Amino acid sequence: MEGLHIHGAAHAYGDNQVLSKISMVVPGGELVCLLGPSGCGKSTLLRLAAGLEVLQEGSIVIDDVTVATKELHVPPEQRRIGLMFQDYALFPHLNVIDNVSFGLLGMARAKARAIARERLDQVELAHLTEAFPHMLSGGMQQRVALARALAPEPKLLLLDEPFSGLDTNMRASIRQMTLNVLKQSGVATLMVTHDPEEAMFMADRIKILGRGGKILQSGDSHEIYYHPNNEFVARLFGFMNTIKGTVQNAMVQTPFGPVPANGFADGEPAQVLIRPEGIVLSSGGQDGGESSGGIPVEVNSTHLLGHFSVASLKIAADRNGAQEFYVRVHKEFLPELAGRITARIDPEQSFVFADDATVPGEPMLDDLNILSPELKTLLSTGLEPQDKVQKQAEAAE
Amino acid sequence: MPSDTAAITDQLAPSAQNVSWGWVNPWTIGTAVIAGLAIMPIAAIVWIAAAPGEAIWSHLASTVLPGYIFNTLVLMLGVGAGTILIGVASAWLVSTCRFPMQTMFEWAMLLPLAMPAYVIAYVYTDIFEFAGPVQEVLRDLFGWTSKRDYWFPEIRSLGGAISMMTLVLYPYVYLLSRAAFMEQSVGVLEASRVLGRGPWGSFFSVAFPLARPAVVIGVSLVMMETLNDFGTVDFFGVATFTLGIYDVWLNMNNVTGAAQLALTLLIFVIVLVLAERFARAKKRYYVSSGKYQPLPRYQLLGPAKWLAVAVCAAPVLLGFILPVAVLGFYASAHLNQFTNSDMLRFAGNSILLSTLAAILAVLIGTFMAYGIRLRGEKLLKTIVRIASLGYAVPGSVLAVGVLVTLGALDNSIDGTMRRSFGISTGLLLSGTIVAVTYGYLVRFLALSFGSVEASLTKVTPNMDGAAKSLGHGPLSTLRRIHIPMIKGGLATAVILVFVDAMKEQPLTVILRPFDFHTMATIVHEFASDEQIGEAAPAALAIVAFGILPVILLSMAIRHSRPGHSQG
Repeated sequence: MEGLHIHGAAHAYGDNQVLSKISMVVPGGELVCLLGPSGCGKSTLLRLAAGLEVLQEGSIVIDDVTVATKELHVPPEQRRIGLMFQDYALFPHLNVIDNVSFGLLGMARAKARAIARERLDQVELAHLTEAFPHMLSGGMQQRVALARALAPEPKLLLLDEPFSGLDTNMRASIRQMTLNVLKQSGVATLMVTHDPEEAMFMADRIKILGRGGKILQSGDSHEIYYHPNNEFVARLFGFMNTIKGTVQNAMVQTPFGPVPANGFADGEPAQVLIRPEGIVLSSGGQDGGESSGGIPVEVNSTHLLGHFSVASLKIAADRNGAQEFYVRVHKEFLPELAGRITARIDPEQSFVFADDATVPGEPMLDDLNILSPELKTLLSTGLEPQDKVQKQAEAAE
Repeated sequence: MPSDTAAITDQLAPSAQNVSWGWVNPWTIGTAVIAGLAIMPIAAIVWIAAAPGEAIWSHLASTVLPGYIFNTLVLMLGVGAGTILIGVASAWLVSTCRFPMQTMFEWAMLLPLAMPAYVIAYVYTDIFEFAGPVQEVLRDLFGWTSKRDYWFPEIRSLGGAISMMTLVLYPYVYLLSRAAFMEQSVGVLEASRVLGRGPWGSFFSVAFPLARPAVVIGVSLVMMETLNDFGTVDFFGVATFTLGIYDVWLNMNNVTGAAQLALTLLIFVIVLVLAERFARAKKRYYVSSGKYQPLPRYQLLGPAKWLAVAVCAAPVLLGFILPVAVLGFYASAHLNQFTNSDMLRFAGNSILLSTLAAILAVLIGTFMAYGIRLRGEKLLKTIVRIASLGYAVPGSVLAVGVLVTLGALDNSIDGTMRRSFGISTGLLLSGTIVAVTYGYLVRFLALSFGSVEASLTKVTPNMDGAAKSLGHGPLSTLRRIHIPMIKGGLATAVILVFVDAMKEQPLTVILRPFDFHTMATIVHEFASDEQIGEAAPAALAIVAFGILPVILLSMAIRHSRPGHSQG
């Protein structure tokens, strides 16, 4: 069996259980992505696979070789894995080519350099072999780190938040290049990230890791996005309009009409989560679109944010104006020109879950709501503003 | 309210930044004057050495000079190698491994810094000389009777001097390499492991090369201290440059010769300064990303863990604990020394001189640091750099320079007074505590300036801007923002200069007024007469003061651990 097999791995730092009995497989040639908020133990899992942490329970097998159990710890230098660090960890005293050939032990220097050069060529850095890391941009450093990790032809490649250090403009192109290089090399890859978009772009298979180190859902991007099997997974992709209610006649009542209760029994408390793009607006017409099943709404505000707009709205009939809903519209949205507007729910973008206040992850998202105005909440598809915090910290130094 | 008035007067007064006078401003001129005074002794040496005097140079060159060069070089290389070995090994163990008492060693490794080399030289001579306890026990054990019956290493030798200085100077290397190891992103070491190198391989191919600039800085400081030492080489009779200068100056009474020797020694110093500067420039690139994690440490087990304890404990025991114990033993037999009126007077002299030097050095240092901050022009920076060169110049060299400078000044005052008023003023400044203080200031200016400048960096330029935008002028900003924020740094600077001045020996020995003693000189005097017992109380007092900077440094170590401060 090629690739990485983890069976029942558990890890605790003192009393803090960061991973609870995780089992997973990264088959040869596949790219598996662990997606989760910080503190969910995803980096610990990488470090366990690399041998930088000692496994406390369970076992880790790489290409049919058991490298870690409770009793056995193969040191990292003997595991033949590649690890790309979040901060790249390039050796500042070595130039690019020496960095890349660092892991090519036991071969003639000329041969090692030739291999390193090949790898650098692959990431389009062949012209910078003699440069030192401090002379390179963040994106170049990232590519050197990738070339360095791949040069010794590892049996398994581990990527720790590989794109978090890059600015948004550069991210897309570097991501594409990294994906191409990985597919070419065909190495089994485990990547961790907190950015759902990144995971969806890169991964053959995504595993959602929740707080306390449990895998909550596993599947490809389509499954994760369109069929989240719990509230935490659904909320990963950003803001959710939330409507609470009780199940009656296998339906949950919402201001937009009843929604099928998704198997919850009558009388149970339930909540409907609707993505901002899951509320569909219609306008015009004599009846204001009511014939299409929508209900009339009032638009409070609207903001153009580039290739889409966000609007906040209230149910027109709801005079108390209790709840505001946020909608994402894929063009400039000018309500004063639009006349009467109605809204309905897109069933593919709305989900019913038990109304369980103690779902892991919810407090964190609440924090986010408090911290930032609604607009920012809407925009943030990521789980946490970690990048921003990091950049601020860097700027402060 | 007084502060409000201050703010208003600040605004009314033309601010230094608004008026552009080029180099004609109080900061540049003031700093230039300071730099001039600081560079004067060194310039004087060059002047005198180049002056046609008695043709002593060729005499020196054909007789003692090769010996001086050889001894000085061997001493520097020996101490350099020794301090790298002890300093780097202990720093590596303490910052990357886990073993018994490891957290205690983190600061305990610094203790020998409190011990001047000359003090342990006296102590170990007492222990290891022919009549000392060690050889006595050996003779009793094996029935030897005379020197001819056995071989025992001579402590009063070049090797002995190397050992003594290594034992008290390694903390410089330890401190800098420890900081370098802590600064290294853990990722770099882990990357090396993942790429196939074991712990030892990773140390030699990644950790040590990365720490190399820091080690070079540490070793150049160590070597500067080695060149500065007078007490040890004098006591051991190792003919180095320092001793040669002293000898030519005081015994042969030859100014030109002393200046020529001093100038030759300055070449060594320049090499060290350049090495240090170069390493500092390189070090900037060697700091990897600003991200730190708490360092995972190797848990040492079995014999390895006790070996680590031994490696760390030996230098602390030999460089601090044992000598302090011996001094304590002698001091307890000479308790009367503590109340002896001469002794108290010498202690008073030490405190007076050190306080004077500390306060003046910090005032001047603050002036220069603040000047650079307000007007960061290149000219000013260059001047300041020149003014703070004194830290690298050995005390003996500076002493000669100060004597020449003040002598010339005294002569010209005397001449003027005699011509105008017919009064001879004689030597006004030479051989007074003014001369000693002058010497201290030149030597310790870099120390105070560096401390003040470092603490000023805590006040970010935006804070100045914020204060200004809220209506505070430069003076009000200084008083309400800067001084409160840097007062810890100022206190540190005062303590550092105070203690260094108290330990200072060569400058004091040469420049002090006739029959004037400080604790450092009286310890030397007693020890030269083999009266180690009488010297013990004063030596112990010097060591006690020396503990102060060690405490400051260990507190800094505790707060500066990157993995902990960033969470």
